[in-house]
Amino acid sequence: MASETRKVVVHLRATGDAPILKQAKFKISGTDKFVKVIDFLRRQLHRETLFVYVNSAFSPNPDELVKDLYNNFGIDGKLVVNYACSMAWG
Amino acid sequence: MDSKVEGTEAQKFVWEGAIPIQIHLHDSEVTTLPNPPPALILAPRLGYLPLLVRQIKPFFSSSLPPGVDTVWFEYKGLPLKWYIPTGVLFDLLCAEAERPWNLTVHFRGYPGKILTPCEGEDSVKWSFINALKEAACIITGNCKNIMNMSQSDQTDLWRSVLNGDMDAYLRVSSKLKLCTIGDDHSMKFNTTLKSRQSTIDTDVTAPARTGRIPVRLYIRSINEDIDDLEDAPTIDSWDKISYINRPFEIQGEGECFTLYDAVKTLLPELFADKHLLADDVSKGEMEDGQLSEEVSCSRTSEEAGVTSTDYVGSPSDTAEIKLLRIQGIEPKMEIPFGWVVNNLTNPEHYLHICVYIKAVEPITI
Repeated sequence: MASETRKVVVHLRATGDAPILKQAKFKISGTDKFVKVIDFLRRQLHRETLFVYVNSAFSPNPDELVKDLYNNFGIDGKLVVNYACSMAWG
Repeated sequence: MDSKVEGTEAQKFVWEGAIPIQIHLHDSEVTTLPNPPPALILAPRLGYLPLLVRQIKPFFSSSLPPGVDTVWFEYKGLPLKWYIPTGVLFDLLCAEAERPWNLTVHFRGYPGKILTPCEGEDSVKWSFINALKEAACIITGNCKNIMNMSQSDQTDLWRSVLNGDMDAYLRVSSKLKLCTIGDDHSMKFNTTLKSRQSTIDTDVTAPARTGRIPVRLYIRSINEDIDDLEDAPTIDSWDKISYINRPFEIQGEGECFTLYDAVKTLLPELFADKHLLADDVSKGEMEDGQLSEEVSCSRTSEEAGVTSTDYVGSPSDTAEIKLLRIQGIEPKMEIPFGWVVNNLTNPEHYLHICVYIKAVEPITI
């Protein structure tokens, strides 16, 4: 049991006129970096330029670990990630 | 009312702190003879390497091959993460302080698989402002105070970091009300968590609330028994460094915590009593309902390999702290943590702590 990496539930939310994903909730390994979420969004939305935020507040460094972001900013058992096609919160 | 905010003497030292760096252009990018001599530069500890490019480029521009600049720095083969403050990189990667610090600069061939993209000063500013927002979220629960900054305040704040101007920085940052520690080094609890108070600070201390301090920990594991720091093996991959973004959280009012207490709270895995058989769970560190990884004292070397903090070289019961560096200092562990926070924090309100631990690799049988 100790060897299984904990998964974090990520809730992807569209902001502004960004397209809404059919499936908005995903699980990702806690030891993955945030860049994995960003790249996932880029592939799903077929866009290179995306602005990605946590709790509509700040853009985490892509090298941040998902588990740290979840531990620090998770709400109700999930990490809320907002995405926009243009800068939403400068 | 006097609006000038005075920095402490320690803060002045920190803001004036700089690393002498000798920057060599990578051989593959030298197209002229003789090789350009290295650039010698004093890099502010609180600054970032890409911000030096403007100063050093003239040294090398005539030697560069044609093409678009994609600047990156490297130390003994390790591409340097540009968003980590210069002083932290030096404290972490140079076990034994090297003066001057010899770095190699590249203007081509950006290692996109290792480094996140950087488009010069704008990228550094974006990274800085977001780190500041993140810190604000940790301290107050939201970053409205940052988002509501006037345009001129934002510009002044960034410029103060660019120029290493502590007075200008304090003038702007004091308006943000992100101070969590009072003058007596005890926690000052933030009562404005939920509502926007007026800008006149009422300074009311609420009873028994939690205060959180943003901390970034960089852990380097040294597996061999070395007497001299300069014998520490070179870091050739970022996989050898454990990075943890974990706030220091304190419950209770007016308590004075030492640096030792803080590190013990932040890295409980390293302080596990080797005689403990049961779980030694970190206390008060993560709120209920959040994903908290098992922090247990390992009994055997097999268990040691799977504790939560992803150390290289498992934190078994023989893990010990060999060195702890903040702003280039190795503070005494009895120092009040409040003093450390008030004086040694970076401008984005994060405390960066470099820890060298000695851990024993489990033997494969």
